[in-house]
Amino acid sequence: MDQLANSTLAEPLDLVKLALGERVFIKLRGERTVTGILHAYDAHMNLVMSQAEESIHIVDVTDDGQALPPRVEKREVEMLFVRGDGVIMIAPAP
Amino acid sequence: MLLAQQLMFSFFKTLTDQVITVELKNDLSITGTLKSVDQFLNIRLDGISVEDPERHPHMLAVKNCFIRGSVVRYVRMQARNVDTTLLEDATRREAKEGKK
Amino acid sequence: MSAVEAYVDQTVQVILYDGRVIVGKLRGFDVRTNLILSDCMEREFSQDQGVEMVPLGLYMIKGDNVALIGEVDDEKDAGLDWSEVRAEPIGEITI
Repeated sequence: MDQLANSTLAEPLDLVKLALGERVFIKLRGERTVTGILHAYDAHMNLVMSQAEESIHIVDVTDDGQALPPRVEKREVEMLFVRGDGVIMIAPAP
Repeated sequence: MLLAQQLMFSFFKTLTDQVITVELKNDLSITGTLKSVDQFLNIRLDGISVEDPERHPHMLAVKNCFIRGSVVRYVRMQARNVDTTLLEDATRREAKEGKK
Repeated sequence: MSAVEAYVDQTVQVILYDGRVIVGKLRGFDVRTNLILSDCMEREFSQDQGVEMVPLGLYMIKGDNVALIGEVDDEKDAGLDWSEVRAEPIGEITI
C-alpha cells in the first residue's frame, strides 16, 4: 500500500509495470484465465508471459437445456503472447 | 501511438524464422515458421500445419498464410527463443517513453 | 501488408470473420486487406455431407471481414477429394 502513495504510480499501467518478472493472474474474454510470469506489456495490454497456465471454464449444457456443473480445461505453455484486446484484468497471482 | 506497438513489433521480429503456434479467436491453431510481421502484428507463417486436422481439415491444401493481427488470441513459442531479461528492460524503457 | 504481395495472381483461401471459406485467384489488395478475388468459390463445410463448392465469380472482400489469407498448393488441392471431407464449419471470430 505504501507504493500507492509513490509518485511513480500515477496510472493503472504503472501497477502492471511493478508486476514485471512476477507471477500474474489475468482474466480474458471467453471465460479464460491465465497465470504466468509477466515479461512484457504495452499500452494495448498485449502481454508476454512464461510458465503460463491457461484455464478455460466451460459449462456444458445437456440436450434438454440443463447446465452441467462447470468444468475447467487446463493447458500449459512455456512462452505465451496474449493479444491485448482479449484482456479484461490483470492482478498479482494469488 | 506508433511507439506503443513498437515493443511487440520488435519482439516478434526477434522470433523471425522460429516455429510458433498462432491461436486464432475462432479456436483454429496454426503452427509454422514466422516469416514476417508488420506494425499491426499481422503474421506471415510458412510451412504451416493445423493443430487439430480432424476438426479443421479446411486448411489441408494451404502451404503458408497471412494472419490478420486482430484475429490472434495467443501466440505460443519456445521459451529458449526469448530473452526475458531483455524483454523486461525494453518494456520498462517503453513505459517510460510513453509518458513523455 | 507487403506479405500479401507474394499472393497476387496465386490461388488463395480466405477465411472470413464469420468462418466462411472462399477460394479464388487474388488479383489485388490494399493496406486495409480489402481483396479482389477472381473465379472464386465458397467452400461450404458440413458434418452431414462433403464440401459443397458454390461458385461466386469476381468478388471484392472488405478487409474488416478477413481473418486469414492462405496460399493454396494447387497440386495438393487438386489431389484432395473435397466431396469426401466432412467437418463443422470454422467458428466465428469471437470479439
